[in-house]
Amino acid sequence: MPAENGKILAVSSVSKRFGGLLALDSVSFEVQRGEIFSVIGPNGAGKTTLFSCLVGTYPPTSGSVRFRGEELKGLRNDQVVARGLVRTHQIVKPFRDMTVADNIRVGVLYGRLRLRGAKARERVDEVLSRTQLGHRAQAKAGVLSIGELKRLEIARALATGPDVLCLDEVMGGLNPAEIQQAMGLVRALRDSGLTILMIEHHVHAVAGLSDRLVVLNFGKKIAEGRPGEALRDPAVVAAYLGDETEEEARA
Amino acid sequence: MTALLRRHPALVPGVLFAAFLLLAPGFAERGTLNDLWNMAFFVVLASAWNLLGGFAGQVSLGYSAFVGIGAYTTVLLANAGWSPWLTLPVGAALAVAFSVAVGLPTFRLRGPYFTIATIGVGEAVRVIASGLEFTGGSSGLRMPPGTFDFNANYYAMVGLALLTLALVAWLQQHAFGLALEAIRQDIDAAEALGVNSTQAKLTAHAISAALVAIGGGLFATNFQYISPGSVFDFRLSLTIVLMPIVGGMATITGPVLGALLFSYLQIKLLASPTLRDSYLFIYGGLLIVVMLFEPKGIVGLWERLIGLRPRRRAQPPVGEARRAS
Repeated sequence: MPAENGKILAVSSVSKRFGGLLALDSVSFEVQRGEIFSVIGPNGAGKTTLFSCLVGTYPPTSGSVRFRGEELKGLRNDQVVARGLVRTHQIVKPFRDMTVADNIRVGVLYGRLRLRGAKARERVDEVLSRTQLGHRAQAKAGVLSIGELKRLEIARALATGPDVLCLDEVMGGLNPAEIQQAMGLVRALRDSGLTILMIEHHVHAVAGLSDRLVVLNFGKKIAEGRPGEALRDPAVVAAYLGDETEEEARA
Repeated sequence: MTALLRRHPALVPGVLFAAFLLLAPGFAERGTLNDLWNMAFFVVLASAWNLLGGFAGQVSLGYSAFVGIGAYTTVLLANAGWSPWLTLPVGAALAVAFSVAVGLPTFRLRGPYFTIATIGVGEAVRVIASGLEFTGGSSGLRMPPGTFDFNANYYAMVGLALLTLALVAWLQQHAFGLALEAIRQDIDAAEALGVNSTQAKLTAHAISAALVAIGGGLFATNFQYISPGSVFDFRLSLTIVLMPIVGGMATITGPVLGALLFSYLQIKLLASPTLRDSYLFIYGGLLIVVMLFEPKGIVGLWERLIGLRPRRRAQPPVGEARRAS
């Protein structure tokens, strides 16, 4: 169990509208320091949109995001990273023509730590070994396998020196052995003091890793709590498997 | 040392060529020196543009504006009694200010939209310079007599070319170069890792604008006469872009090779009465050939020839490729 020493991230009534589509509808939750907090929900529920609103890829239409007490709404992505909140991308975005080490170096040089010289090199090596990418350090990112690319996403985000790491489906497309490896990595990152906010589809990983979670459906929060309770919530079951009464009516 | 040479195979020929350029006034004729001057001028334009257009991937078609700002600043101040040398930093400063003023709105645009906006900016500057009285309208301006020393101007242009190359190579080796590289390859990922992309693009734009404007000032001194048609010409903007593309963008050597090729072509074509009006046609053909067969330009062709880069892209392990989609 993580030490419950206060909330680090407070999302209050965040909504995001794209024209006629309300992608996020007044979503609120709080993340405690040192926990693994999951955001789950069917495809199109608004999970990735939520991440984009947190880090400033685009601003929420309304609501507030407070990180360590400070309002993040209105800050650019790079300013949010400088405060210690960083995300990965579900559709991996490697710098394909750069080596793996240089990909990580971007985060080291420009993230929150902004290290230079020998300290930057040490940090790159440290991140390479923590994410088990050391043997690929000089390979071009464009030739990596999907499992390695997902680890590189984590590695670059980790390199920036965050307090909260937002992982967007880092287990998508991995085989069972790679999922085990990825789960081990997420746990190790939390144990090193990071707070993890993750979007995940893999139910085994969600149930096995999360301290708490929220469930989104059509942009609305439909459940929140510990994985055991929340995953059994009738509203959640209905969102994933379809509404029983609806099925009966059709029959 | 050998490792350095393996990584930069152009270093030895480059140093030899630089030495040749610096020693040329001792033995070469004026006609040859004019051609070499033009070559150095093109190296400045192509290499400076490459910082923003090549490394950061922000293709601007409005760089004649900076040539013109430098050139007009030099002529106007020289006519007000300034030494032409002292006008160069003023032109550079004005170009930096203009690059920021133009960059703030246009860098919000991405890819082709940015490029189209820069065409508009370049043309707007030409039209304004053609309409204003103090810039001499469309007939242009003359330098005051007795302000010209060709050899000094020649050394200054070669020195500026070497400075540009050294500066770009130095920036490429440092954190700033990596940020530009990241912006080119995936701007969203760069921002998500903490890169302030607007600031980086503005900085690259400003540095290259300053270098190009100094080149424009030396151009004005050398030709003694400028007009919107000579320094604000869209065809000049186009040539500035074509040189690094044909030579190899986002490399140090590429824009130099492109500059050598284009200055040679320009000299040959302009000297031929039958071809002088069709040089843009030939440039266009060259561009198509490069884009179709070797998008990495002459540098890419060379790397392929000596086997540094396989023709086929490296394949991910079987099975991984399908899942990577």
